[in-house]
Amino acid sequence: MAEPHSRVQSVPTQYGLGWALSAYTAPANDNSTEWFTTNTSSRTSSGSRQALCLWLPTFELRLELMRSPELDSTSVALLAPVESTRRTIWQVSERAQEAGVRPDQLVSQAVSLCPSLTLLEPDPAHYDSAVNSMLELLSEITPVIEPAGRGRVFLGMDGLGRLFGSPANQAKRALQALFRIFPAPLVAATRAGLAPGKFGAWVAAAAARSGEPVIIAENELARFLAECPVSALPVDPLVIQRLERLGILTLKELRRFPEPSLIAQFGEEGRSALAWATGQRIDPVRPWHRPKPIRVTLDFPNPVGIVATLHGGLDRLVERALSRPTRRGRSVTSVRMGAHLEGGGSWFIETVLREPTSQRDRIASPLRAKMAISPPPKAVETLIVEFTQFGAPSTQTGLFDRREENGRAIGGRDLAQGEIPPSLRDAVKELKLRLGHSPLFRVVEVDPWSRIPERRHALLSFDP
Amino acid sequence: MSNAPRLRPLGQPRRVTVSADEHGEPVHVRMPGKPARRVETINERWRIDDEWWRQPISREYRAVVLDDGRNITLYHDLLDRCWYAQRG
Repeated sequence: MAEPHSRVQSVPTQYGLGWALSAYTAPANDNSTEWFTTNTSSRTSSGSRQALCLWLPTFELRLELMRSPELDSTSVALLAPVESTRRTIWQVSERAQEAGVRPDQLVSQAVSLCPSLTLLEPDPAHYDSAVNSMLELLSEITPVIEPAGRGRVFLGMDGLGRLFGSPANQAKRALQALFRIFPAPLVAATRAGLAPGKFGAWVAAAAARSGEPVIIAENELARFLAECPVSALPVDPLVIQRLERLGILTLKELRRFPEPSLIAQFGEEGRSALAWATGQRIDPVRPWHRPKPIRVTLDFPNPVGIVATLHGGLDRLVERALSRPTRRGRSVTSVRMGAHLEGGGSWFIETVLREPTSQRDRIASPLRAKMAISPPPKAVETLIVEFTQFGAPSTQTGLFDRREENGRAIGGRDLAQGEIPPSLRDAVKELKLRLGHSPLFRVVEVDPWSRIPERRHALLSFDP
Repeated sequence: MSNAPRLRPLGQPRRVTVSADEHGEPVHVRMPGKPARRVETINERWRIDDEWWRQPISREYRAVVLDDGRNITLYHDLLDRCWYAQRG
């Protein structure tokens, strides 16, 4: 069933190539090993052991070419999402690659190598929408789906034999399903690999020809992995670098070493590398928890490019999202801001908050800071805010904590006699608006030396 | 609603049910709506007889520790023969 092992030489490294960047949203922040390292063979009791990897190389660029077929025969490069002032290349077409354009190159370098290069701005909203359609479609085949980036998805295939027949039929069925949402050229470029565990399935998919799945049986896995280059191992890149410098280039060569000597050289990573290389470590496909974000949008009557207006819109959207009933009782830990741009295209930035919060300013401030670094490339037609991850109920700020409005502590300064902290003053103001009066009281001394306890102190209404 | 400051009493005594031993010392205290608690220790006792010229006050106070660790002040009102508790 397996393809000739010589083709396994083409297994891409986990790092470096554009398509290998597997973050679901922002490729620049990716850690491609994440989907491997969280699972070990000791935990195969949950999840699906048999894994099918569907891989659509340069998925985003292919989606762009589907939208603009006239570019298909030209040199095209997709720009990396804006993360800094230096724009770089993200994905390149075959023709551009022939001209020497590579992912991660600076735009200026790429244009000097290929003057006819067409540069495309990324449209994350479009890509995400395509991925969502794909995941929804594949969930009709198996409930155990684990996306690993936009163009790569793992399907748990345990127990599907009675439904779809042999493993080869199962893989073909998954590929055929893609025809329902993607045009033939995109499906034809999809590679599929079915093997025990995600690592095996990924190596198999990378070794597969377009449209011809590679199926690896349990007893073939170790032999199949033998010719795989060490650069495919989901371990620390420094370990891979050292292995290559030592002349250990394939997993077969790595296996020759006894475990103690690998541990002595590389520590725990050495043990892991050997377990992956021998096929002893099987990482099951785990069902993906699909987050349900809270999404609010604001349509501008005219496209807006003024930063102050966008900031105002952001504040309004965060307030609206916070007031959604589905948010109640939860704090926000991760937030995404985006926009549909004038003349097509989209723009997104995402931030993970330093601490869970449900305060507007604490959510909006990091987004404003990110927006200053990577502003929308064009005028904004629709502004979008999404709360993507949630935490425990937000902690209430102490009424008497000595913090200013923006959260900075007032450096060690004691409050003067009778001075009221701003946070307390604000809290009373809010309560008065809601209840019509202040329900707070302060303790006052009435007769502190009285022998009768109830006469010593009383409560006086507090309304600063 | 009026903006005039409002004054509320603090630490008002609450009537409680107390079972006492033969010497009149509290053994069990039951707050309204709560299960009875055993008195672990009596830390202090004092008596107040005051204000005989208007509304006489005659109380026997005890600062006690209950079996759940709470410190409360109990007094036996010698005029109405009832027991009251208030925050220590």
